[in-house]
This record gives sequence, C-alpha cells and structure tokens, in this order.
Amino acid sequence: MSTTVRAASAPAKATTRRRPRRHWSRYAYIAPAVVFVAATTLYPLYYNISLSLYDAPIQKFLAGTIEFVGLANYAEELRNPQLWTGLRVSLIYTIATIALMYVIGLALAVFFNRKFVGRNAVRAAIFLPYILPSVVAANVWRWILDGSYGLVNHALMSVGIIDAPVFWLGQGNSAMVAVVLATAWTMAPFAMLLLLAGLQNIPKGLYEAASLDGAGPVTRFRRITLPLLRPVSLVVALLGFIYTFRTFDTIFIMTKGGPGDATTVLPILAYNEAFVNFELGSGATINTLMLVIPTVLALFYFRATRKEDAL
Amino acid sequence: MRTRTLGLSLTGLVVAVVYLIPVYWMVATSLKETGDVFNTPPDLVPKPPTLAAYRDAVFGDSAVLQGIWSSTIITIPTLLLTLALAVPAAYGLARFSLRVNGVVMLLMLAAQMLPTISIALPMFAIFSDYGLVDTYAGLIIANTSLALPFAVVMLRPYMLAIPQDLMDAGLLDGCTGFRAFRKIGLPLVQPGLIMVATLTFVMTWGEFVFGLTLATSDAIQPITVVLNRFVAQFGTQWTNLMAVSTVIAIPIIVIFVLLQKYVVAGISEGGIKD
Repeated sequence: MSTTVRAASAPAKATTRRRPRRHWSRYAYIAPAVVFVAATTLYPLYYNISLSLYDAPIQKFLAGTIEFVGLANYAEELRNPQLWTGLRVSLIYTIATIALMYVIGLALAVFFNRKFVGRNAVRAAIFLPYILPSVVAANVWRWILDGSYGLVNHALMSVGIIDAPVFWLGQGNSAMVAVVLATAWTMAPFAMLLLLAGLQNIPKGLYEAASLDGAGPVTRFRRITLPLLRPVSLVVALLGFIYTFRTFDTIFIMTKGGPGDATTVLPILAYNEAFVNFELGSGATINTLMLVIPTVLALFYFRATRKEDAL
Repeated sequence: MRTRTLGLSLTGLVVAVVYLIPVYWMVATSLKETGDVFNTPPDLVPKPPTLAAYRDAVFGDSAVLQGIWSSTIITIPTLLLTLALAVPAAYGLARFSLRVNGVVMLLMLAAQMLPTISIALPMFAIFSDYGLVDTYAGLIIANTSLALPFAVVMLRPYMLAIPQDLMDAGLLDGCTGFRAFRKIGLPLVQPGLIMVATLTFVMTWGEFVFGLTLATSDAIQPITVVLNRFVAQFGTQWTNLMAVSTVIAIPIIVIFVLLQKYVVAGISEGGIKD
C-alpha cells in the first residue's frame, strides 16, 4: 500500500498512538543503517567509477585539476599485460586456495561430526586461525616459511622430503604455494563450520541402510556424504571465491605481490597503481574491472540461495 | 565403545595441536633470545624463556604503544556505532515485512563481498575532500562500513527467532514498539549481540587496508599497520616481530576463549541461512 514513505524520515517519535499501520516508524528502524551503508559503499563505488573516467595523478587530484578522459583509462588498462597477469594470478590463487580450504575443511568436518569427549573445545580451538588478524597470520607464516631458519624447512628436511632448504617466498611458484597455504589455513575453519552444519543435516538412517546393504565407509562417503553435501559445498565454494578473490593483507605482508609479479593479485595491482604510483584514475579503473568477476558470482549466489529459500 | 571415543579425543587433540603450530611458534619465538632463533635445529621450547622482546619492542617502543592506542581509539567507537545502527536495522528487517526488505538485504550482502581496496581507494578521494584522511573519525567510518552490513546480516536470524507472542504481550501492556523491543526482545537476542560484538571487535582490531590507505601519519596508524612498518624497518628481528604480533593477537585470543561458544554457534547458524 503506502510504500512511498521516505526512508530517511525524522528520528522515530513512536508516539503516534493506536494507528494500526505506522509504516514510517517501521522504516525508521532500518533507515540509519541503510543510509550509512549506502553512503559508505554505494557512493564510493559510484565515485570510483566516475574517478576511473579521469586522468587523476595525485598532484592533479589534490590541486583539483583532474582531466576527463572518458574511457581512455579502460582502453589503456585492457591493453596492459599486467592486468591480464594479475587476473591469471588472482584466479590461480583463488582456485587453489578454495580447493585446499575445502579439502582441509571437509576432513575436519567429517572428523568433528563424530561424538567424543572434548569435541567442542577442540573444534573451537581450531577455529582460532579464522579470527586471528590476517597481518598476524601472514607474519607468522612468513617466519615459519623462512628459507634459512623456518620451521617448515626444518621439518621437511628432518623427515627427508627435501634435502636443501626451500626459499619459499623467493621464487614465483613456491611463493604462490606459500600464500595459498597461509590463506587456506585461515579459511579452512570457516569451511569446516559450514560443512559440519551440512553433515548434521544428513539423515543417519541413510548411512545405516547403506551399511546393511554392505557399503563400506568409502562408498558411503562417496555415495551419500558428498552428493548430499553439494548445496553446502556450493555455498562454501562461492563464499570462498568471493572472500579469497578480494584478499589483500595476507599477500601484501608475505610477498608484496612478488617476486616479480608472481603473486600480484588484482587488489594488489589496484593498490600499487593508486597508492604507490599515485595514479588514482587508473587505480579506480582496475578496481572497476576487478569487480566484474565477484559481481557475476554474487548474482549467481543470490539466485542459488533464492531458489533454496523457495523450497 | 569407550576406548573408541578416547581414541577420537586423543586424535582430536593431535589435530588441534598440529593445526595451531603456527600460533605456538609465534608465541615461542617471541619468548626467545634474539640470537636463539637462528639455532639449528630450532629450539622447540624457548630456553630459557625471556620477555626481552616485549620489553624492547612493545613497552620500549613508543610507535608500538601509539599503534595499540590508535587501534583502541578506532575499535571501541566502531563497535558502538556498528551495534547502534545494526541492532534496530536487523530488528526492523526481521519483524516488519517492508517492501524494501529484499533490496536492503541485497545491499547488506553485496557490501560484504566488495574487496576492501575497492572501497578504500574512492574513500581516500572522498575523505580528502572532507578533511577525513588521516583522522580517527575517518577510520571509524571506514571500519563501520565494513562491520555494519555483516552485523545486520548475522543478527537478523536472532531477531527472527524472537517469539511474536511475547512482543505482542508487551505491546498490549502499553509499551511502544521500541520499548517492547528493548525490554523484551533485546534480552532474548543477547547471544547474537555477543557474537556480533565479538566479531566486530575482531574485524576492526585486525583491520589493515583502511589503516594502510587512510592513515598517513604515525600518530593515527593502527597497530596492524605499525607492525608492517616494523617488518620493513628491522627485516629479520623475528623475536620482536613475533612479540608485537602476539600482543596484537592477545585481545582476540582472550575474547575468543571467553566467548567462543557464541561465535562458533553464531557463524554456523547465520552463515548458512541468512
């Protein structure tokens, strides 16, 4: 009915008595948060797009003399090999991290789905890396992966897996392995929790019936657990993608995007352009281009969850 | 049967210990003598443990102390502002079916999915127009923009669970809508509030990108950014670096140990069904 009520009405004076439908006061509950989020997210996004149409090195920006150049920044960035390298690095990093996070998370979830004394305490302890500040986690991983004195090299050498120390952060491929490892370590507990909730929704009877039919644990896992976990797995993969694709801190601390551009994911590229080269316009352009992929995925995610709600 | 669960308990313990080795190694390193970190094989236990790194790199370093102070000044108002805006919003979204609800939820979910840098860059430009670059106010606004959508989405399921009958009873007793919510609804959602407050604290205390881009002077930078400067400045002073890292982690670990049951339950419920 009366849906044209302005969202930003004055602070709710909830004194209008006994009118059965007081829509304006209902909007007043959500208005402050909506205005805040719009002002601090939508407006910057809009501003970002308009900034991407300008030639805006920081001196010109601060002097207020930036020049409108239309889509020139886009034309330039799309021809910039760094952008495409960044996209490739981002995708490798994101997909490898999701895969590792999912495998660790699923193994932990299957384990913690069994009842035992002290289960909740242990599960909570494993959750800690997820909430640890990423700068802390990244520095700790930098230290344990240190080429000369790192714990990981020492452990691998003492059991004979490698016979010379690996300078993890010094070479492209191993630097990628290192940032993937560190990110998956922090994200796996999150995957574990979601997958655990999924496991608990699988009816126990299915496993019993399968056992009676002579299915062993491996068959039961492949034929019951994995298929029935599919919806949750999809959510884990999509959230994992969205959260990993935007990772900045872990990589910035561990490798600064190096060596060379081996770990220069798109957020690092956008940062470098805007805050190292001080080209705000092209930084904004990379930002806009970078947002295309998570936006498409998010739309996919919303459609998927909306379908689930309908059930 | 009993021996099998004992076996599982022991396995669980081993799994947790292995998973948390990096955390142990951070604390252990922070308690070593500077020279001892280069021992081969590495000392698995610091011998003897020393607080020297804490004395030098934390209490003896005014930049670090300033960073901890700045983080505190940023985190507490962010937490309060986030709760003040998120609690009524989550309640409104849960209780009233307004036509804008779908759009608002979409906004809240989408806002959480943006890379921080995509907001930080334009925010830097906007803030420089309003004199908010390099101010606590700017960092509080930026951090709230990160925490608020998350808080709204996570709180809403708790608000949905408030029994309608109880609220109606309150309204019949003559409470206004907001009073009924405060007196009856709010106590019922306490676990959700604790969860959201904890995670908002965790996010803000550990935030790095806004600190890096929106705080240019030493006096304002949060401890996460000061730590990063430490890395460049001292290269491989691992005991000091791990001591400062431990100090950053301590409030998180303490709060988490005290409140983990709310956090873990909240994420597994709120994360699946929004």
